Amino acid sequence: MEYDENGVSIVPFELKKEIFEEARRDFRYEEYVRGCLNCGVCAGGCPPHRFFDFSPRIVLQKMKSKDPELIWTMMDEYVWACFQCFTCAMICPFLNSPGGVIAILREIAVRRGFESAKKVLKPYSRVLLKLTAYGNQLSPDMIQPDFFPDWGPHIGYASTDLAVKRKAIPMPTLQVTNLAWDVAPEAMKELYDIFDEAGVFKIIESVDPSLYEIIQDIVDDVRSS
Amino acid sequence: MAENILVIGGGPAGLNAATMLSELGVKVTLAERDSFLGGNPKKFKYKFLFPDMQPADDVIGKLIKKAETNSNIKVYLSSEVSDFKENGKKFDATIKSPDGNETKTFDSVIVATGFEHFDPARDAKYSYQLFDDVIDIKDLERMMGEGNFVRPSNGQPPKNVAFILCVGSRDRHVGNQYCSRVCCTVSVKQAIELREHFPDCEVYIFYMDIRTYGFFEDLYWKAMEEYDVQIVKGRVAEITSGENNTVICKGEDTLLRGPFEIPFDMVVLASGMEGGPQSSEMAKKLGLELDEHGFLKPQNVTLAPFKSNKEGVFLAGACTGPKAISDSITEGGAAAMDAYIYAVKNH
Repeated sequence: MEYDENGVSIVPFELKKEIFEEARRDFRYEEYVRGCLNCGVCAGGCPPHRFFDFSPRIVLQKMKSKDPELIWTMMDEYVWACFQCFTCAMICPFLNSPGGVIAILREIAVRRGFESAKKVLKPYSRVLLKLTAYGNQLSPDMIQPDFFPDWGPHIGYASTDLAVKRKAIPMPTLQVTNLAWDVAPEAMKELYDIFDEAGVFKIIESVDPSLYEIIQDIVDDVRSS
Repeated sequence: MAENILVIGGGPAGLNAATMLSELGVKVTLAERDSFLGGNPKKFKYKFLFPDMQPADDVIGKLIKKAETNSNIKVYLSSEVSDFKENGKKFDATIKSPDGNETKTFDSVIVATGFEHFDPARDAKYSYQLFDDVIDIKDLERMMGEGNFVRPSNGQPPKNVAFILCVGSRDRHVGNQYCSRVCCTVSVKQAIELREHFPDCEVYIFYMDIRTYGFFEDLYWKAMEEYDVQIVKGRVAEITSGENNTVICKGEDTLLRGPFEIPFDMVVLASGMEGGPQSSEMAKKLGLELDEHGFLKPQNVTLAPFKSNKEGVFLAGACTGPKAISDSITEGGAAAMDAYIYAVKNH
């Protein structure tokens, strides 16, 4: 992305229009975006609306407008404020889904490797690495103060002496800190096929190229085993 | 001998009242100021009626045909009630028409003198009559009726069109505080028609509240969901001329964008309904009460909506307030019943 002398990004209108059209073309668009009375019941039920400058009503209205500029204003930080709880979709008298619109826009941001997507997804690169290397989503050794700061004030304590704490769990575990369970290589290979087909590897490549390289090495190893 | 009832006004309400009374065997005198029957729908060549897009000519045409072919109805065109006097429980009225003056005694009277379209030129901020491409809903309805959808300034199809609601309604500046009830639905209907006719034309509606009451709401949802009409909340404060022969609407989108200035090829003003000079004229001539909005006042708006303050004189249609054509037709029938009861009792 280009920036002017004040550090404000210069985005050509053509790109904004492309994103707008990409969102409108999405196969879910017709289902998610219908009429709207601006009643605000979606925002009334929206958890982040209470704490951030975020409103599902605005999301839907901007999506309904024919103005690519309005969609563009949401592509940076705005779309990441949504909790994806879909209270808005449950409550809307028109059966709109502002949360669904957010999902469409987030996917565009991820596919196109937008800075905001990279920033938000950074903590999840570890999850992806764990997932592709071991078929696990989370394991004890991933609990570190630098990541997942939103896990609360005791994250520092929780991340120390993991091996001892692991052994203190009164139920059978693998007694290791880098795994939650064992996954068979056949299952891993199947998972990679699914990732290939679904374009997950491509997305990882655009959001985090160095992570992608590491993951590719692991994938090649498992596949050739 | 049959009862004699005078119906003043040959629009939807008056026509239905006259027809129903005639079918009861009443001798009806129907006085119409214009040289034709049908009222405003005929005068301004309404094309399709909401909510089901019936051709207006079919609806009004049927009413006119019934009135014209019934031997119990005597129609006076280009006429007026020049003199009106109470005669006991009855009324002596003189009908002045091109054929001369005729005075008759009537058992009861129905006033169905209707409304006038608000003249948007009275509200200068909309620049009506200043720019050719600023028209109002009755103009567009007539243009559509004539199969002429194009921009008045250059005869080209419009690329984008704005509807502005509440023109002449809900505005103390023009002296009308009330809502005209039908303009929202008419505008939404016309927006759909425009989108059907020009699928590439963007249509905006600027509104304060959308009042597509009852089942008319279906049209509003359809406009949003099937025709992608842009619905923007905010009153347009000013219309000026823009580049490339456009007209610029300036206002505030109070829910989304904030201040806006958008150039349009065409602006359609949803002008409302007024009691018109005929309401005060009737009030004066027949001794009826006028309400604070300039319409004729019913005796009791809930219990006796078709009775006037004067015994034996009944009210029907838009002369008592803004109304849809279907409501006026209904009221014509209801007032006919009231007028018939009074006539039979005092005959």
